[in-house]
Amino acid sequence: MTVIDSSPRRPAERLGPLDDLDTPEPLETLFGDPDDPGNPVGHQAFVDADERGDFLPAGRKTLETFGIGAEFVPRALGGRLGQADDLARVLRTVFRHDGALALGLGAINLIASSTVWAAGDAEQRRWLASVLLDNHPTAGAITELAHGDDLTRTRLRASERDGGVVLSGRKEVINNVARAHAVTVLARTSEEPGSRSHTLFLVDPAAVPRERMRFLPRYRTSGMRGTHLGGVEFLDCPLPATAAVGGYGDAMETILRCFQVTKSVASGAALGLVDTMLRTVLDFGTQRRLYGRSVTELPYVEAELADIFTDLLICDAMTTTTCRALHVLPRQTSVYAAATKYLVPEIEQRAADRLALALGARSFLREGPHAVFQKHFRDLPVAALAHSGATVCLATVIPQLPRLARRSWFTSSAPDPALFRLGEPLPDLDFGQLEANAGPDDQVVATLLDVGRDSVTDPTLRTLCARLVDELRDLRDGWRTLAPRNRTPFAGPVGFELAERYAVVLAASACLGVWWHNQDHPNPFMRDTAWVVRALDRLTVRLGHEPLPEAASATRQVFAELLGRHAEHRAFDLIGRRLH
Amino acid sequence: MATAPAPGTRTVDREEIRSKLLSLVASYLEQPVTDIRSDGKLVDYGLDSIFALTLCGDVEDEYGIEVKSTLAWDHPTVDAITEYVYEALTAEA
Repeated sequence: MTVIDSSPRRPAERLGPLDDLDTPEPLETLFGDPDDPGNPVGHQAFVDADERGDFLPAGRKTLETFGIGAEFVPRALGGRLGQADDLARVLRTVFRHDGALALGLGAINLIASSTVWAAGDAEQRRWLASVLLDNHPTAGAITELAHGDDLTRTRLRASERDGGVVLSGRKEVINNVARAHAVTVLARTSEEPGSRSHTLFLVDPAAVPRERMRFLPRYRTSGMRGTHLGGVEFLDCPLPATAAVGGYGDAMETILRCFQVTKSVASGAALGLVDTMLRTVLDFGTQRRLYGRSVTELPYVEAELADIFTDLLICDAMTTTTCRALHVLPRQTSVYAAATKYLVPEIEQRAADRLALALGARSFLREGPHAVFQKHFRDLPVAALAHSGATVCLATVIPQLPRLARRSWFTSSAPDPALFRLGEPLPDLDFGQLEANAGPDDQVVATLLDVGRDSVTDPTLRTLCARLVDELRDLRDGWRTLAPRNRTPFAGPVGFELAERYAVVLAASACLGVWWHNQDHPNPFMRDTAWVVRALDRLTVRLGHEPLPEAASATRQVFAELLGRHAEHRAFDLIGRRLH
Repeated sequence: MATAPAPGTRTVDREEIRSKLLSLVASYLEQPVTDIRSDGKLVDYGLDSIFALTLCGDVEDEYGIEVKSTLAWDHPTVDAITEYVYEALTAEA
């Protein structure tokens, strides 16, 4: 008798974030040992591809074997996209190996597709899902070089003609546009100034007349040299009327909502670059001998590397909390995503600069066993800017903070602990829940009071938390007394400084929440106070405090954990899973 | 001396709303309120998409009503926002 399996094809079950930490992630297993010189997707192969200025074909193959496209397709449409923090971790794996691959064949799909999941009709979503499930590249043609992140000044024009739409104009610095099988295009649909004059269109490049769509020459870049940054020009290019994504005039609102997801996920993903850079410095430092000992036994190097590991944990706490907030606190993430996309790349870049000093000459050698460092070092600023820079992120935060100061800080209650619990599944991402601006209910920062002021007993941690609570009070008073002009995008330096300080308090709150609510973490180090003491000490130093002497002793423990993870090939993040 | 009206008994005055909004906009721009026209587009004063977020937060807090974050996009002048707030408050009362 023949048994017919009538159950639908199920996507691969994902390992729970804290399950069996000795088992590598499936994608990491496909990449294998990056230090093996014979590995076709090892570090050497990616360095060689970068020298050639192209994607590594074997790397592309690895992502196809894994089925990377499904990661961007909501589960309801047959893909694997459920939780933003899961997606960030998958992309982080790719960033560990290569930024160009991770951005061009990875993160960029989210920029192209999120607006369609949020605002597209059923047919558009079905079609884009099929493109991604077939692992075809997609592109988001949003920016124009002349206007940067000021999207309201978009010039590319869409006009209604003969029952359809005609596109004319160009988009520049668009990742992978010439290879994309689906392109979302931001176009002006009214000459009125303001934010209701733009519409998104979903374009199938294979279906438009060839002579009406022209690709512009590729831009060469200093980092992510393998990335294909190009441009596209539409020459009275006809589209069917059904190409509009959402209503006419809705584009800015859709983008403000969706880019909270892309900002959060991209910040969490790019940590993979710094993970590998820190690992490379440890590879070098544990072997290199100076003054009769290994470099990592020198107290200065030990403290530096422990601090950089701490920085990675801070960044992961902040990005993971922001990603999970998209599910738990979707009304608040306009502020969280922008604050994260400002602070995390800033911390990463400083960490990378200090790692380069520790690595010395090998930080710029383009050959030899540590050459991946200089490649990742050049990739990092490109990842940091994609797809919104620090200034525009702060300018998004500034107008929203006065209200949090008036209505939320010291008033809002602490969030559902699921926000911070790394192993707890959340309902699937719902783009419809996200709001363009934040409500007056900053629950992440309420954690600082709930945990930091009311629950913590460790005396060092209490001192650090008291500093942060004082800072929150100063911020509240600062925003309340600030001249109205400084609450707008025309804010002077004082507005920007208060926004920067808020981002630091938010990061500290995330660290506290993650630590407090993961006391069942399989790794005792993550349950202990050392990492969170170091994290809060570093963040309060950022706010201008002197380092707390009692906090310094925790450095040793953090460094011991770092060496242990390095020896066991474990990730330098909140999870600490084996990589190979 | 004026006291806060009890809920439901607040009288709604269009001109009060208009003048409050005008002084809010003037304070953001650090310009005299007489320089701001109530029928002028906010975007023409340089108050763009992100500023709209500030304004709608202030309107919510000032009048205790919930407004869409795109309030100032769909109601691009002080006059238009005045109408919107007036309608909302009248409906409430």
